[in-house]
Amino acid sequence: MGYVSARGGLDAIRAAEKLVRTKRLVSDSNWLEEEQILDKLRLLVDRVMGEAGLWEPQLASKAIRQSEGDATEAVHLLRAYRSTLPRLTYSEATDVDDAQVMRRIVPAFQRVPGNQLLGRSVDYTARFLERTADADAREEAEKLRGAERGIVEEKSPPAEEISPRRLIDLLRDMDMLIDRRRTDDPEPFDITRTPARPPAPRSALLSSMSRADTGALVNQWYRNILGPDGYLHEVTLGEVRHATLPLNVRHPVSGDVVTVSHIRVSEVEAIEDLEGIDEDRTRFDVGYGLCFGHNERKAIAMANLDIACHRDAGKTQLEQSLLLTTDALDSAGFLEHLKLPHYVTFRSMIERKLAVRKMRSNEASAHDGA
Amino acid sequence: MALSDLIDHRESTELLDEFAKREIRRATLAAVAIPGYQVPFGSREMPVARGWGSGGLQITLAVVHDDDTVKVIDQGDDDGVNAVNLRRLVTSSTGADESSIASEATLTQSRHRIPEDGLDETSILVLQVPVPEPLRGVERDMRELARMHGEADYSRMWLSLYEDKVRNGVITQTTGYPCLVNGRYVVATTPIPRWDIPRLHDAPFLTLFGAGREKRIYAIPPYTMVEPLTFEDVPFEVENSDGACCALCGKSESFLVSLPNSTTWLCSDTDWCARQRPAT
Repeated sequence: MGYVSARGGLDAIRAAEKLVRTKRLVSDSNWLEEEQILDKLRLLVDRVMGEAGLWEPQLASKAIRQSEGDATEAVHLLRAYRSTLPRLTYSEATDVDDAQVMRRIVPAFQRVPGNQLLGRSVDYTARFLERTADADAREEAEKLRGAERGIVEEKSPPAEEISPRRLIDLLRDMDMLIDRRRTDDPEPFDITRTPARPPAPRSALLSSMSRADTGALVNQWYRNILGPDGYLHEVTLGEVRHATLPLNVRHPVSGDVVTVSHIRVSEVEAIEDLEGIDEDRTRFDVGYGLCFGHNERKAIAMANLDIACHRDAGKTQLEQSLLLTTDALDSAGFLEHLKLPHYVTFRSMIERKLAVRKMRSNEASAHDGA
Repeated sequence: MALSDLIDHRESTELLDEFAKREIRRATLAAVAIPGYQVPFGSREMPVARGWGSGGLQITLAVVHDDDTVKVIDQGDDDGVNAVNLRRLVTSSTGADESSIASEATLTQSRHRIPEDGLDETSILVLQVPVPEPLRGVERDMRELARMHGEADYSRMWLSLYEDKVRNGVITQTTGYPCLVNGRYVVATTPIPRWDIPRLHDAPFLTLFGAGREKRIYAIPPYTMVEPLTFEDVPFEVENSDGACCALCGKSESFLVSLPNSTTWLCSDTDWCARQRPAT
């Protein structure tokens, strides 16, 4: 018959699973410790937790190890695991002003209350690839361990810098800001339980972006700078922060609010220069971005897109684009499904092409005959 | 204490927590109550990627019982890699049995085919849906799509079919042919071939459509009117194979797929095909 297709599927799947698992677990290099991933690949751990929408560094490091460094695959492992667990409680709202700041940049003014705090950042580090031999690097590491005890033991910044006043408070004092603060306190939209569709509350937009694929959000931002849509102009950043926030829940027995953990977040406030015909030309407006871990790129894109979406006010499909096209698992999963067999649909397509041809040739012969 | 210390590290076979199953059942009941209406639900992440049957899998896991028998096919084939993968997830996480014979199965999960025979009033058919929105080809804006469905304003869909016919001589829509369900909602018929469309009309079985990525569930209850959108003087056409028959079973009354650049045809429903052949 000569008919060969992807049959005998179960054997093939098991063999592929075995190949992946064996090659991952058995190799000549040392076992990759969770601690090493948490420590040496901390930014990847942060990114994966952010895109998974799940703060759990140890599980994230396990996922990164199992996915062999594929961030989207790691996100998938974490979210699929969470699907098996019941949701036991909701956290209490946390005031971001309770954050302990590790890094804080305010590009809008030269001198600001609470100081600039460059912190642990490669922003101004010359990007030279370090080609030091491993042995030399280890030797240097040992020297540093002794010589730079202060850094190694990571002293907190001085107390007055821990929770600096925000630039937007200053701008409010100057009456330079449109005040869009709400007096009611609506429940935030839960994107994990209700699919967000436009028009959606701002909390749906913010949580969608907070959980979005970092690359997708950066692309959305840049597409709106240089792409065909062009809704957006560059904002001035009022705050760029990397900070620690307490995670509070209400105790199930006592009813007291207790801090059960801490999370790290990147937080950005983007000051927008309003220049639309219908906009208040005497004041600024603010966009907000916040995501898990140290991921400033994502938080900046988010803050800029938040204010862009507010100004767009439903005129274009920017909101739909942000709500529906930025999730790592939605886009990657659908893209990769193209690898599945498609021969039923393809057969139907060929049949219609032949039907069009047949119709055209019938018409042609009818014309010739006339 | 770290959060991970609170987690039960024993291997659980459950793919969905009970709250999620309840939520999916509620959405499914709403879908059955309003035939063809796309019910939003809080789609969970599954061990399979979105676009790989995650919506169908969630429905199956939410409605399957230990005493059910499941059949899982992809393109009509029980042995396709994705069918095998989904079937083992269903059977290993529940107590359900498996069968390739549609009449033995109480629940059939399928990607892109309706089994040739065997579905009756005791059957549930779960179809995996990549794109649940039938109007996306004529409108991209979801706000406008919501209005069009809400007001049953399908004029642009009709117009696109008319233009197709005028430009090409035939309606070139291939699979997933748009159908009006119960005289009210236009649905995307997954991409099942047009061959299967007449078999949805007044069918004795319940069909549930699960779109995991787009977070929508919709349904065609038993004995519901399903009309492919076409004009009075343009008959709806199923795939034509010019009298070809299957090289394995010799039958011509099933949906056939062809081999590339060849006159060899095969049944897409592999189990049906096997049952047509004389025992050896």
